Amino acid sequence: MDYTKFRLKPDQEIREVFERVNQIFILSCGKCYKKFEEEDGEEYARLLDIVGEDHRKIAGHAMIDFLCNDFLSTRRISDLDLSHFDSVGVVSCGLGVQFLAKLLEGTPVYALADSVPHSVNYPPEVAYHGISLEEENCAACGQCYLNLTGGICPITNCAKGLLNGPCGGATDGKCEVDSSVDCAWVRIHERLRKRGEQFASEYVQLRDYSAPSWKLRSDLSLQNQALRGEGFYGGFHPLDKKEATADKQIEDFAEPQIAVIFLSQHVGRRSQPSVEVGDKVRVGQKIGEADGFVSSAIHSSISGKVIAIEARTYPAAPRKELAIVVENDGKSELDPLIQPREDFEGLPKETLLEIVKESGIVGLGGAMFPTNVKFSPPKAVDTLIVNGCECEPYLNADNRIMIEHPEEILTGIRIVQNILGVEKVFVGVEDNKPEAMAALKRLSDRSPSVELVSLKTKYPQGAERALIRAILDREVPPPPKGLPFDVGVMVSNVSTLLAIYQAVVKGVPLFQRVITVSGEGLTRSGNYMVKIGTPLKDIMQYCFDKNVDRILEEYDVRMGGPVMGIPQASLDSSVIKGTTGLTVLRKFPVQASEERDCIRCGRCVEVCPMQLYPLFYGFYGKKGDLGKAMEYRVEECVECGCCEYICASKIALLSFIRQEKAYARSANKG
Amino acid sequence: MLAVQIKAEQEIAPLISSKKLFIFECLGCRDVHYPVEEAERFIAGLKEGVVGKASLDYLCHREFTHEYIKAYASEIEKAQVILVFSCGVGAQVVSSLLEDKIVYTCCDTLYLNGFQGLTVQEFDCDQCGECYLNYTGGLCPIARCSKHLLNGPCGGSQDGKCEVESDIPCVWQQIVDRLAKLGQLDTLERLGTAKNWNVSPVS
Repeated sequence: MDYTKFRLKPDQEIREVFERVNQIFILSCGKCYKKFEEEDGEEYARLLDIVGEDHRKIAGHAMIDFLCNDFLSTRRISDLDLSHFDSVGVVSCGLGVQFLAKLLEGTPVYALADSVPHSVNYPPEVAYHGISLEEENCAACGQCYLNLTGGICPITNCAKGLLNGPCGGATDGKCEVDSSVDCAWVRIHERLRKRGEQFASEYVQLRDYSAPSWKLRSDLSLQNQALRGEGFYGGFHPLDKKEATADKQIEDFAEPQIAVIFLSQHVGRRSQPSVEVGDKVRVGQKIGEADGFVSSAIHSSISGKVIAIEARTYPAAPRKELAIVVENDGKSELDPLIQPREDFEGLPKETLLEIVKESGIVGLGGAMFPTNVKFSPPKAVDTLIVNGCECEPYLNADNRIMIEHPEEILTGIRIVQNILGVEKVFVGVEDNKPEAMAALKRLSDRSPSVELVSLKTKYPQGAERALIRAILDREVPPPPKGLPFDVGVMVSNVSTLLAIYQAVVKGVPLFQRVITVSGEGLTRSGNYMVKIGTPLKDIMQYCFDKNVDRILEEYDVRMGGPVMGIPQASLDSSVIKGTTGLTVLRKFPVQASEERDCIRCGRCVEVCPMQLYPLFYGFYGKKGDLGKAMEYRVEECVECGCCEYICASKIALLSFIRQEKAYARSANKG
Repeated sequence: MLAVQIKAEQEIAPLISSKKLFIFECLGCRDVHYPVEEAERFIAGLKEGVVGKASLDYLCHREFTHEYIKAYASEIEKAQVILVFSCGVGAQVVSSLLEDKIVYTCCDTLYLNGFQGLTVQEFDCDQCGECYLNYTGGLCPIARCSKHLLNGPCGGSQDGKCEVESDIPCVWQQIVDRLAKLGQLDTLERLGTAKNWNVSPVS
């Protein structure tokens, strides 16, 4: 099925347009709703053929994918210099032409293509398909008749659009308008008979051709358009499912019998173990030294004996990683070095940074970038943004921290203000967390430099760039080179601020964190303060309250939320510093597959907050042409997962993107 | 790629009274417009009649829906009526895959401007197959004039507003304004050939 929306106008009409213009710029649309193939541009070649000698009047040509996406296309077109052409010719459906006619108000815009009605039969009016390329059409009449007609729409399937029975002109079940087409009413009758139903014409309401009203339609359309651009372009509104754990207080999770503490819990080089097998360790004792500038210290989360230093199943990537395995002695002895600091307010910046470094603090929002490195930016920053969005569905760890520890967060903010020498602080919280807002509000009222900002709930509001755009309307240059400090901003997560507070004020290094365990089938979902290194199996055992040996057959367990979370192939790994939660979801009967083809529906383009065209990553990834993705700026992708989440063909876009980004990195190095 | 609203309960109730129900709910275009809470209330009101429910993305995708139907075969078997919450395309796909079952939809489908292209926006295209935009300053009278007039305004508009509903701008007013601005008012003289309404199918 191919629903391509347009074809070139008749030759004569095109020639007429060319007679009227002197210098014309041609814009063509990359088409939608057709199987993604690589033969773009055939219309343009034919156009050149048709105009013959007049091709000299063509001053330029550009192909823009999804031309009707007004937001993205406006940007693409502003990169083209259209000023010295007297007119623009458009090869697209009527939407592209109308959009351009408005955008380029002073320039004549000519349609060089006719849109094509895509209904399969001969419907009396326009019919619309779903997101996939199927035969069924819908007239979107606003008064569905399918319940009376056995699920076969007479409006789109009957040549005459009759609503109250057949016209009587059909012969042998074929339509009198076209004998190759089945009579819709014969089909309806047969389907109903199969189901033991009968068409009851007395129920048929007169069709109200004024409904749905223009106002309703246009309000809905504008509303939808506004949602897409709210705060930042793209994103989507997932069912957040936060209610299951939003009201559950943070509980201390039992210390594990065996803690598996990975030496790689951060971006950068793996830490070097500073203990040996057989050594006794205490809670909070440093057991791994940072190895180089971008690395981090590791601390024991329990007291006991080191029983192994070996490679174990790692939760953040499908590989094994070196871990220090500690057996609990049940004594919970604290490292004597852990001492609270009375005088932290007066400490110089360098000392504070050293404490942050020695305490092994990394970005706890999931990124795990060493905080002391991040807080030593090469450029001055003027603003700190505290990230309290937690836009992933199901997760409430940050939410509960804001509700239960607002004082500590505020002190953490003061410490970071001192480190960065920053005056202005914004705390961004999504508006689905009113309790957290209220808790922070009570405190921020006392601190004039801290401004609380309520943000619309939209995924991925918590992504740094989206946050900076929504709060400050500053555009961070594209990754991988551009970072928030390029626009004078530092972003820090509320969990990280709590860890900084703990480290600086209480002297406690990072060996525990709050995680949310939520999802389907759990008997004890909740928010737990968990020791780093706690085996996932211990947590699942407790939260399911039953044997979980075979749980992965029925459920998907993800480290993190359902969108960006990392699927776990086994429960043998353990909690690391970047574990924001564990989301447990019943397996879908339909698994994501790489085999289904992209149909260019463009949903991924609609949701990509980085304003990329993710469909190309899937297309070229599948072909193994990894380098091609660089032409489509794959390096700028922040892996938020919106495209994969929305994909109607369930293409595993993220895994292609990760491969392509790795390829791009090595290509740039080489 | 469509938006829906939930039908009135009175319309559905007589169809399903004391029947065992299986529910298909499409969440694929939820971000476009699907009243989740209203649907939940509706479903909650059905209570004991429901023997199973599948929520999935893109019910219009025949292949996926087929897989789901297989996965929920035993529950579907028990149900006397399949209720579908989706646009008309999804409802028709389910109905055609379950030919022997009674399938009812609980939604009316609404159309959003521009969505036939890709993006919800202020413009719309009726895909008439014979584009008039070259004569009308890039504003479509077919999609935007209440009376779909092709040869000029009806004469009923006041202050640039349509006589059908005063919220609606008269597109013919806008067309004339735009053409005047472009110095192209003469193109209006080229209108007047009869439009070929004979839509042709796409192969």
